[in-house]
Amino acid sequence: MAADPFARLADRQQSLRTALRALQAAGPGSPDFPTLLDTTNEHVQAVMQARRDVEAARLTVPNRAIAAATTAAAFIVAIGWFDPWSLLSLLAAVATAAAVLVDPTGPRLWEPRARTAAITAALAATLLTPIASGWATLVTLAGIAWWAWRTLK
Amino acid sequence: MNIDPVKALDDKIERLKKELKSLETRIDNAQTDAAHHQLSQANQLKDSNRKLTKTDDRVTELAESVHRLERLLVALNRKVRASETRKADFDEWPEIGETDLAKILKGQEAYARRSFTPQEAKDTRRAIAEYDKAAREAMDAAEALTHLPPNAEALWRTNYKQWQAIQDVERPQPPDDDTHAKDSVAKSTGNEAIKHARVVIRGRIEDAVASDLLFPAWFENILGPAAPPGRADDWLYTATDVVLYRLLHKITSPADALGPVPEEDGHRKTLHVRLTGECADYRRP
Repeated sequence: MAADPFARLADRQQSLRTALRALQAAGPGSPDFPTLLDTTNEHVQAVMQARRDVEAARLTVPNRAIAAATTAAAFIVAIGWFDPWSLLSLLAAVATAAAVLVDPTGPRLWEPRARTAAITAALAATLLTPIASGWATLVTLAGIAWWAWRTLK
Repeated sequence: MNIDPVKALDDKIERLKKELKSLETRIDNAQTDAAHHQLSQANQLKDSNRKLTKTDDRVTELAESVHRLERLLVALNRKVRASETRKADFDEWPEIGETDLAKILKGQEAYARRSFTPQEAKDTRRAIAEYDKAAREAMDAAEALTHLPPNAEALWRTNYKQWQAIQDVERPQPPDDDTHAKDSVAKSTGNEAIKHARVVIRGRIEDAVASDLLFPAWFENILGPAAPPGRADDWLYTATDVVLYRLLHKITSPADALGPVPEEDGHRKTLHVRLTGECADYRRP
């Protein structure tokens, strides 16, 4: 098993192709179709996992960077445009950033990109806070909702 | 004679008064007598009631002891006959082979199997066609998964979803066109085998009855010591069924004729319940 996620994905796609060929040769009516289907399903899961790993490898650094930027921006906005009502938005953004900094990709199949969306929303909310004050929280919340929906669906 | 009319009237009144008094006394006496009479009758009634109750108790006691005696008699009868009589063997049936039993069981299965109606067969075929279509699409989707670039997330999602759609669905069993024909063949061979087995079993039971053989313990436990008067044919029919049931379901308990009640519903359980009921009816005094 190759250590590089890209190579691993290619590897697993190759073995899925082999399993799939057996499945197609058997056809839905044949008696060993269910077992072949199970094996192929395992291969599909492996491919999906490998793809997630590729995504995770690709998105770890950007997610962390955006999270760090969000934290820094939140501090700057909190000090420069101090307003108790805006603190809510800043706190939400910082909480999201903390979650992404700790684990930039998440364990689930579709999570890396969903986390990118959430943290980008948090950054946007932070930058909007001087204009929209506390209402910018809604942007962060929308990002979090998107994250949850994409991950759990 | 009194000349004075007043005096005469007085005398008359006196007489009448006396008579009235005597009459009152007589009535009183009669009343007392009647009361006495009633009382004694009530006493008698009470007495006879008490006697009746006592007799009832006695009769109940007697009935119980008669019942005890009856059972003792049956046991004793058995013991006596066991010492000198030949025993009937209802456990070994070389005339009824394994193949016959298999035929009977197959026939019963065929009876239990639900056969497809044409509409159901059509629906099932349609469901199978749908499944096959979905399976083909899922395989195409999986094929796509083998060469997608890793960052085309939307495509990955749709294809993965399509693949998942087939995972939790079972392909229905195809309706077998000759199930019906095969079942009717199985039913008729099963019926023939049952008829043959019944003749054999009934013959042996009748022989045992005719030559006063001692029945096996399980047989007497469930069917009683003999056929109830006037119902020999029914009794023989049930006895045949009991023996056949033991034979079919491989029950070998020497005391319990039918074995435990089968857990799953079906022909066997119905038969078990029916036989238990009928036999209880035959054992009733």
